[in-house]
Amino acid sequence: MSVTLAIAVGLLMGVVFGFALEKSRVFEPGIIVGQMQMRNFIMLKVFLAAVATGAVVLAVLNGFGYVKLAPKAALYGADIVGGLILGAGISLAGACPGTTLAQIGAGYRDALFTLVGGLFGAVAYSYAEPALSKTFLGQGGGKLIFSDLAGIPYWVGALILAAVIVVILVALESWRPWRPELGNDSDGDIASAPAASTKTIHIVPAE
Amino acid sequence: MLTQKAWSPYLAGIVIGLLQIPAFLIIETALGASSSYVTIGGVIASWFDPAILSIGYVARHVAINAKNWWQVALVGGVAIGAFLSMKMSGARRHAISPIWQRALGSASPAKRYAVAFFGGFIMLFGARIADGCTSGHGLSGMAQLAVGSTVAVAAMFVGGIATATLVLRRI
Repeated sequence: MSVTLAIAVGLLMGVVFGFALEKSRVFEPGIIVGQMQMRNFIMLKVFLAAVATGAVVLAVLNGFGYVKLAPKAALYGADIVGGLILGAGISLAGACPGTTLAQIGAGYRDALFTLVGGLFGAVAYSYAEPALSKTFLGQGGGKLIFSDLAGIPYWVGALILAAVIVVILVALESWRPWRPELGNDSDGDIASAPAASTKTIHIVPAE
Repeated sequence: MLTQKAWSPYLAGIVIGLLQIPAFLIIETALGASSSYVTIGGVIASWFDPAILSIGYVARHVAINAKNWWQVALVGGVAIGAFLSMKMSGARRHAISPIWQRALGSASPAKRYAVAFFGGFIMLFGARIADGCTSGHGLSGMAQLAVGSTVAVAAMFVGGIATATLVLRRI
């Protein structure tokens, strides 16, 4: 495929991706840090809904033979060490690599610093990569997927995952409904005093 | 619909998950975001240090091919899409989210910018060690039942929860 066409497809998909990230409010630092402090569960809901949808989509596309899967190799040392550092960065940035761009689009000025820091981090890793890949971080197995381990077809495993996620989401939603977690300004800021909102007055029944 | 300030997280998640269809069918790859930082970072760094292109990892990421530049366009499109969505709903943002004053215990923009830069730096350094981020390992890896991606996502949440609890203050 031509690079120009790939860029056009990427831009179009990115606009849809950014639109959905903005509408879900999952790009908000208040929602991302709130999730990591376990006081806001919108991020987990968006994430799990997207994983379940992706699993169903891929179960169909792969099950009927339209596409090949492209899982990453299991490099446990790198997955654990990299994942821990990445997670720390997500909390301090209040963003992940994709939502940083959504924050910039929505007008958060500090996200520009996150972006520049991210570019420096990627370049620093690039210089270190030839040395790091010779350490335990470069060691690992192949493209391992759970359904192969269980000896079932991928599409069956993917549909089971989607079903499990749906059950988790139903339970999560009944425990923590999403609307109150948006906050007054749809930014996940649920601790600030509700400004002149008369709707939240609690009516205490007379004893 | 397009002018609403917020959608249900389930609707938004389904829309994001459906993006795997064009990714796999047209580009023959999965959704991801963090490799694009190596592509753009590598191109910019090569203006100052052309020798960086002799590193195989960088050469692979800056090569003019559909997969590399599709992802750069994707993350660029994310900024455009978020901008359009925000304009259509009229959800105006402050320059810095109000939660940072509590999380950092300081209203200083300089402090927030420094933390954002550092956070961005380790976020991408970690993502490149792990070979993926919340999109590549999270959305795509878990949907493909990848064992390594599931380990990486668990580590991300452990690192994120520890940092948000021990380093940041209650928001």
